[in-house]
Amino acid sequence: MQDVLDKPRRGDAPSAVAAEPPVTVRRRRNPRVRWELTARITALSLFCLLLLFPFVWLVSQSLKDTNQYFAVPFEWIPSPFRWENFTDVIFKYEFLHYIGNSLWLAVYAVVVNILSSSFVAYGFSRFRFPGRNALFMVVLATMMLPGQVMTISLYRFYRDIGWIDTFYPLLVPKLFGAAFEIFLFRQFFLSLPREVDEAARIDGCGTLRTWWHIILPQSKPVIIVVAVFTFLGSWRELFGPLIYLTGEENRTLPLGLLYFTSPFGSSLPMLMAAIVISLIPPIVLYALGQKYIDKGVAIAEIK
Amino acid sequence: MTMVSAEQRPRPKRRWWRREGVQGYLYISPWLLGFLMFGVAPLIAAFMTSLAKANVFRTIRFVGTDNYEKILTDDPVFSTIAGNMLIYVIGSTVISIALGLGLALLLFKDFRGNHVFRTLIYVPSLLVGIATAYLFKQVFRGGEVGLANMFLSLFGTEPVNWLGDSEKPWLALVALILVNVWFAGGTMLIFLAGLKGIPASYFEAARVDGAGPWQMFRKVTLPLLSPVIVFNTVMALIGHIQVFETPLAFANSGGVATGNPLGYENSLGTFVTYLYVKGFVYQDMGYASALAFIMFAATLVLTGLVLWLARRFTAYGDADQN
Repeated sequence: MQDVLDKPRRGDAPSAVAAEPPVTVRRRRNPRVRWELTARITALSLFCLLLLFPFVWLVSQSLKDTNQYFAVPFEWIPSPFRWENFTDVIFKYEFLHYIGNSLWLAVYAVVVNILSSSFVAYGFSRFRFPGRNALFMVVLATMMLPGQVMTISLYRFYRDIGWIDTFYPLLVPKLFGAAFEIFLFRQFFLSLPREVDEAARIDGCGTLRTWWHIILPQSKPVIIVVAVFTFLGSWRELFGPLIYLTGEENRTLPLGLLYFTSPFGSSLPMLMAAIVISLIPPIVLYALGQKYIDKGVAIAEIK
Repeated sequence: MTMVSAEQRPRPKRRWWRREGVQGYLYISPWLLGFLMFGVAPLIAAFMTSLAKANVFRTIRFVGTDNYEKILTDDPVFSTIAGNMLIYVIGSTVISIALGLGLALLLFKDFRGNHVFRTLIYVPSLLVGIATAYLFKQVFRGGEVGLANMFLSLFGTEPVNWLGDSEKPWLALVALILVNVWFAGGTMLIFLAGLKGIPASYFEAARVDGAGPWQMFRKVTLPLLSPVIVFNTVMALIGHIQVFETPLAFANSGGVATGNPLGYENSLGTFVTYLYVKGFVYQDMGYASALAFIMFAATLVLTGLVLWLARRFTAYGDADQN
């Protein structure tokens, strides 16, 4: 009996459903278990309500004018709605420009990171060479290093070669792969059957073509996870852009938010509208990749 | 064609770059190169800088461990910040772990709507950054307008001046810690994956032996989950030590140039905001580098402490089972 219960678990860890049925039958009969379930759902509902409140409040405040914003008692549904906040933020406050900068930086990061990290991970997962495991430990160890330690000397180096207020300090390091993404790709590649690679090799397929034509097409789940995480990471990055991008022309969305000041008087509703705008892409992206992200966290956990 | 290749194959004369080891190095070479250029080299340079006094005019003077000595013994701002960080890191890590584990346990049961709850709890943790930092700055606004005060007024509490109280500057730090309640979803998801990795037969066996929910948690879930707890704790510690956006946003009153970026009476100063101010506002790179290494040392010490405690705890768990 326990073996039967055990097996589906191992196969697909994400669903606890498979192993549950006998319990479900008992649950219906047992009032204590039903009470427990009600308590569980109540606790979760209350917590989610707490979580959601600031975000509902945010949307409400983003659709007001300044007087409505400070009105006491608080109006949850603004009347009238000020949709102009959003168009004003985008067009009058230059946010279109910031969004454009952030967007192309994020798309670049996604494309380059997938290519470089999977390339390196392919080396770590499919070849035997002296020092491989030690070097992989170094990859993992770099995740522990606070990036700020390096930033200071990198800043001076970039200043000396004239890269300050250009996008190069943000673009160039991405070409060399990122530790967490290399780790994710490697874990996934190790789970792919080697027989397919072998078959390709015997047919005269070089390792480079194996990576591109055999490995990557099988890696859709991990590619999606890396794409979402990389996009989010780039989209919200503040420290790097704050230090390297000094001119207004090159501001990214987080910098636009940080330096948000109004040429037209108090503008908290506008700031709230700008925040709503910057939160939409991550939410949409999560919705699109959700199925894979839960599994991605499971991959990360194997470590 | 096939015949020719069959004839050629036995000949071991493969080009050097086709050897497996060489190819492996070729594939990892981008990372290796990046690691040397953007990891090792700046790290060494930063260490050299931390032993020097470098100013705006780029004249560099070797001063030995002066920077470290000044930070650790003769910098009242750093003392305040070290205190802030101790409170912040412990408070926030406790929130991330306790709340993350609690939520994961609540969700570790199959019922309708489980998926919706999980998504609602997880998504905010993806949004962390300057945008949510400004949102929570407004939430913790003083007076009756702030959402936190609106919530408190339900219980008849007077509005709290969270971020600008000159008599109780620690309130700002409390607000900074509380923000982490909204971002526990990341740890929750990893805990949930860990819980699902525990074989169902263990719970079943405990149930058959008549274990109550508390015993089940204490004797089955907790010991089997301890590696995940350690992993999450270390990750949370590292993340919280490097907190930057939220304190900067909380301290900043429109534009970074105005106001004290470390908050009222430095009550919102963190390692990274202080490093930013010293290195990039005052351009004292030597001092900032030394700060960065002290922050790194603090990370290592705290991580080591957690791992040490974990080992003791696990040993205790094993002894208990026998």
